[in-house]
Order: sequence, then structure tokens, then C-alpha cells
Amino acid sequence: MAYEGLDFYDVESLLSEEEVMIRDMVRDWVEDEVLPKIEHACREGIFPDEWRVALGEMGVLGAPLKGYGCPGLSYMAYGLICQELERGDSGLRSFASVQGSLAMYPIWEFGNEEQKEKYLPKMASGEWVGCFGLTEPDYGSNPGDMITKAEDMGDHYLLNGAKMWITNGTIADVAIVWAKLDGVIKGFIVEKDDEGFSAPEMTGKHSLKASVTSELVFQDCKIPKDRMLPDVKGLKGPFSCLNNARYGISWGAIGAAQACFHSAKEYALSRIQFDHPIASYQLVQNKLAWMLREITKAQLLAYHLGLKKDDSTWFAEQISLAKMNNVDMALEIARMARDIHGANGILDEYCIMRHMANLESVKTYEGTHDIHNLIIGKYITGIQAFTRKLD
Amino acid sequence: MLMNGVPVGGLSHPLEWMVKTMPDIAVLIKRVPDTIAKIIVVDGTIDLSGVKWIISPYDEYAIESALQHREATGGSVTAITLGNADCDKTLKDAKALGCDELVRLWQDGWESLDSNGVQSILAGAISDLGSEIVYCGKAAADTNAGSTGPGVAEKLGWASISNVVSVSFEEGGVEALVPVAGGQAKVGINFPCLLTIDKGPNEPRRPNVRGIMMARKAEVNLKGGQAPAATISVISKSTPPAKPPGKTYHGAENVPAVVQALRDEANVI
Ligand SMILES: Cc1cc2nc3c(=O)[nH]c(=O)nc-3n(C[C@H](O)[C@H](O)[C@H](O)COP(=O)(O)OP(=O)(O)OC[C@H]3O[C@@H](n4cnc5c(N)ncnc54)[C@H](O)[C@@H]3O)c2cc1C
Repeated sequence: MAYEGLDFYDVESLLSEEEVMIRDMVRDWVEDEVLPKIEHACREGIFPDEWRVALGEMGVLGAPLKGYGCPGLSYMAYGLICQELERGDSGLRSFASVQGSLAMYPIWEFGNEEQKEKYLPKMASGEWVGCFGLTEPDYGSNPGDMITKAEDMGDHYLLNGAKMWITNGTIADVAIVWAKLDGVIKGFIVEKDDEGFSAPEMTGKHSLKASVTSELVFQDCKIPKDRMLPDVKGLKGPFSCLNNARYGISWGAIGAAQACFHSAKEYALSRIQFDHPIASYQLVQNKLAWMLREITKAQLLAYHLGLKKDDSTWFAEQISLAKMNNVDMALEIARMARDIHGANGILDEYCIMRHMANLESVKTYEGTHDIHNLIIGKYITGIQAFTRKLD
Repeated sequence: MLMNGVPVGGLSHPLEWMVKTMPDIAVLIKRVPDTIAKIIVVDGTIDLSGVKWIISPYDEYAIESALQHREATGGSVTAITLGNADCDKTLKDAKALGCDELVRLWQDGWESLDSNGVQSILAGAISDLGSEIVYCGKAAADTNAGSTGPGVAEKLGWASISNVVSVSFEEGGVEALVPVAGGQAKVGINFPCLLTIDKGPNEPRRPNVRGIMMARKAEVNLKGGQAPAATISVISKSTPPAKPPGKTYHGAENVPAVVQALRDEANVI
């Protein structure tokens, strides 16, 4: 049966007509163009280039940014876009999150006029792809200790170091790279043809297979002076980007959960065991009811956070809660849906296992589940528990 | 055979000629339940609450033709629908695709118009607007009657072509490709004219964010009009007869019987 998003508390009635139209535009595109091709893309381990083109044509890249070719939509609309993209695949949503929130946003927020004019219109149209290099092989949850460094050579900067796990890296035209200049974290715009820069693709993933993940390697990489983001220093730079992306993930996870719920419901109604549909058994209904309950709570969380993003009354711990909770619920729903599908649940004929494997990455990136617990723990107690001296 | 450079009467200024060569294009669209919506019948009437509404699919092809026409020759595209305030959303969907003007025809008492009434009102609106070419879907997905396009053309006294699969745009008219027995025919037609559009090689475009933002600000022009007295009355309604139960065969020995049934009864092999 045709997909209709679960909306038990009628959240749609709280959205503007424009927001609903944008959601439906992305939903229809995902239905027609992504779902028929996603399993093939995963099997081949590719992000189809036509999706980049289509996202640019639809105008959803950098959706909440205003000016420089960006539409300036509400954060609510941005959330809905993420939700629909991730109903297709977390890899697709990752592409859009990285492009908009992690690559375009820092240029928009911390860049100078020339940088904004040079990069943003081409990135909004999808012509140029961006990536975001923060994580390093030895520094994941604690990026503050990163090794990658920049040196001021008078008429240029010299970058040395390596980033790992970088979404879109190999296909990117533009990389936002966080590196230490005199011990202080600064953002640099690296272009794909810059001398001393390479971005080999990481292979062998069992998760986010339709997304490109790469290393970024800088060996005496020469960067012109005008490529540093002037208006930010320290972890505030990458963290403010992550706030936006994490907000989007809190919506995206609902999309993945909805896909699994929809499939589980349909399957339970049609699968006959012991002479009756398995949907008629209380244990199965309990699972479906739990899924509905968790999706509904997650929707209200995301919706309320959307309101707060739009009137700028949010704080970072609220985003941590939504990212952590919603990805957690989506992953649990994927596992439960797999169970309801029985053996069929492991086949790529159904979306379940793909979402489940994807969500393992989503649980880890943009702050692991437990890092968000620690952020909230610090909010409650006032005591940071990220690190301590071990004797 | 087309009329390149067909004179348009009484022009005095070269700029006026420029303006006049850019046609006023109209496209008729209808709001229908989503073709994949689950239709629930309660006590013999259709319960449409909770159904998602869309632009009738052939009308999407008509919009696509109208927009391509504008892109080829200039001009403007007016989307017209007849229906209550819920249809504003349908018009806004058309705006999001790129239509310029939106017109909704409605007044109290138009809930139960027959097709003659609908065609008269649409024809009246088209002549008020001064449109030179009208596109519409070959049939609406709800009634599947296919009478609106030819009926409107008849009322306007215009030429029309039905079931057009592709259009090429000329000055003062169009060339339309239509299926005919054994192939396709290319038919030339001068303005004013009406084309009903079938699925063709040109897939309807998708909306984009920019279009949707324009749609939010777009104004819908509401117009009333004169409807003729109904000439059709519905005598009764009934649901389709229940499908006869299928036949079941068991065992390999029945294969010939199944093959025979598929060939002689079902006519599928
Ligand atoms: C598919 C994919 C795409 C990615 N894309 C990008 C990208 O585009 N750009 C980018 O910069 N990065 C990206 N990442 C990297 C991602 O952000 C990191 O993987 C993440 O920050 C976690 O770092 P780590 O993998 O090094 O794990 P670690 O930090 O080593 O964590 C391992 C485990 O230890 C736990 N842990 C760590 N510290 C503590 C603590 N103090 N207390 C309790 N538990 C702790 C964690 O919660 C986790 O369970 C991506 C990752 C993946 C998988």
C-alpha cells in the first residue's frame, strides 16, 4: 500500500501550507526516484550523481540559509526535508546534512563576503559538493585534541595532518577543514585541486553504503590566505555546524523509523502464521503499538525543537536530547521491525536491514549516543564527565 | 502548413506586435482524490474524508505542455479550476510548478453542476480571460469522462484536438502529435484552440522550493459566473457488481485445464 507517514497526533495540522508542500515535494521525489534505486546504490556502494543534481534542482541544499542562492526556509521545513530524505536512506540525508549544515553553514555564518559569493550559490545548486573534516583517526569524540595543523607561511597557509570518516570527501569540490593554527582551532576552505590534498575513499562499510566516506590527507597542502574562515575560532566553529546537523538528524531518524514501521505494519497484516495474520496476535500488536508510541513522541520532540530553532530560543543540550532520543528510537524500531519480518527482514527486498545498519552510523556520528548523555549529564549536574585524570 | 507570421488584426505599434505574439495560455486543472488513495464507500456514498487530493494526473501533463509552450514562445500561463476553497491548494500546486496566474471559479449553488454546466462556466471564464490556447487533461482521474475539453471547445466555437501526446509551438498556433490507427498523426491547428493532453514523452516537472515559495505568496482570483440550468439528473447510484470468485486448480494434472482457461476464458495468452 502507498506510503502515508504515521501522524497519530496530527502534527501536520501544525505545519504551514508551504512546509507541507515542501515535505510532499521531497516525499514524492524519494518515492519515485530514490526508493527504486537505493538497494542497487547500496550494493554498488555509490551515491548516484543524479541525486546530487535533483537535490540542487529541488532547491533543498542549505535550505534554512538565506541569500547567496539559498532559499531561507524555516528550520521546520529543513527538518521535514531531512525526515523525507532519511525515509529514503540515511546516506541520502547525510549528503544533504553535510552539504547544508556542515559545509555551507560555516561559510555562511563565519565566512567573508567573497567566500560566501564564491561558494554558496554553486553549493546551493548542487554544482559543487562540500564536506566537513573534523574527525581524525585518533580523535573522534574529543576533536579538541586534533593534530591537523595549519602554519602561516606569510603568503599562504600550509596544512598537514589527516581526517577520517569524512562524508562526501572523495566527491567534494570544497572541504571545510578544522585545523590548529598556533594551537587554536580555525576553519579552512580547501578545494579539491589544492596541491598536497587528497581524499581517498574508505571501503568495506556495512552501513551508509550509499554514502561516500573518505579520508582527507594533507601533506604540505598549500592554501591561499583568503581561504581561512575569518569570524570564528575554537570548537565553537565546528560545534555550531554540528548543532544544525544534529537538529536535522533528529527529524531524519523519524523518517527511517517511519519506513520501518510502515513496512512492519504491512508485513504483519499480510503474513499468515497459525492460520491468522501475525498482526492479530497480541505480542505483535504490542510491538506495533510501541513503535507508534515512540514515533509519536519523537515527532513532538522534533516539532517543538523546530519551533525553538525558528524563534532562536533553543540551547545545545535540547538538540543533544532530540538527536540521541530519536536515533535511539529509530534503531530500536528498525530492530523490532526486523523481528516482525522474520527471515524476510534480512533481505534487501525490504528496507529494514538497510535502515538498521545505517542507523548504527547515525547513532555514532554527530556526537555518539553517550557523548550526548554526557552533555545532558553535565547540564543536570554541572559536572563535566568527559574526561578526568587517571592515576 | 502552419501559419508563421499570421497577422493579428489592427496592430499599430511594433511593441504591441511583440506583446501580441506571446500567447495567453490557459490550463484547466481539476482536484481529484489521489489515484492510490483507498476509497471507502459508506452506505452507497464515497467517504472522502482523510483522502489526499492531487492535481488529476493528465492535467499535470497539460500543465507541462502549457509551461513548455510559454518557455518556447513567451506568454503567460493561467491555471483555472472550478471548485470550492479547498481547490486553492490545487492551484497553488500549479503555481509551484510555474504557472503565472491562478483563477478559481466558484459560487454558491455550484456543488451539483452537471458536465454541461461545468463546460459553460469554464468556457465563459476562458473568453473573459482572452486566452488563445487552452490545455487540459484528456480525462479527469475521478470521473474518467473525457468530456470537458471537447465540450469547452464546442461552447467556445473553437477547434480542438484530443489525446495529444506531444506539442510543438509555432507563432499563432501549434502542431500536435496524436495517436491514430497504425501510428501517429501530426496535426496543425491555429489559435484559438484547445488541446486535451495524454501521457506523452514529456514527464511533468516536479515543483521546487523556489516555486513553492512563490505559491505561498500567490493570489487566487475568485470568479463567479452564469451556469445554465442542469440538463442531467442522476436517477440512481450503485456500486460495481462484486467480482465473481476466482477458480482454484490443484495438482499438475490440471495444467492443461489452466492453460485452456487462460487462453479461452481470460484471453491472456
Ligand atoms: C559513516 C560515518 C560518517 C561520518 N562522517 C563524518 C564527517 O563527515 N565529518 C567528520 O568530521 N566526522 C564524521 N564521522 C565521524 C564521527 O563523527 C565519529 O565517528 C564520532 O564522533 C565518534 O568518534 P569515534 O568513531 O572516534 O569514536 P570514539 O570517540 O573512539 O568513541 C568510541 C566509544 O567510546 C565512547 N566514548 C568516547 N568518549 C567517551 C567518554 N568520555 N565517556 C564515555 N564514553 C565515551 C563513545 O560513546 C563510543 O561508544 C563519520 C562517522 C561515520 C561512521
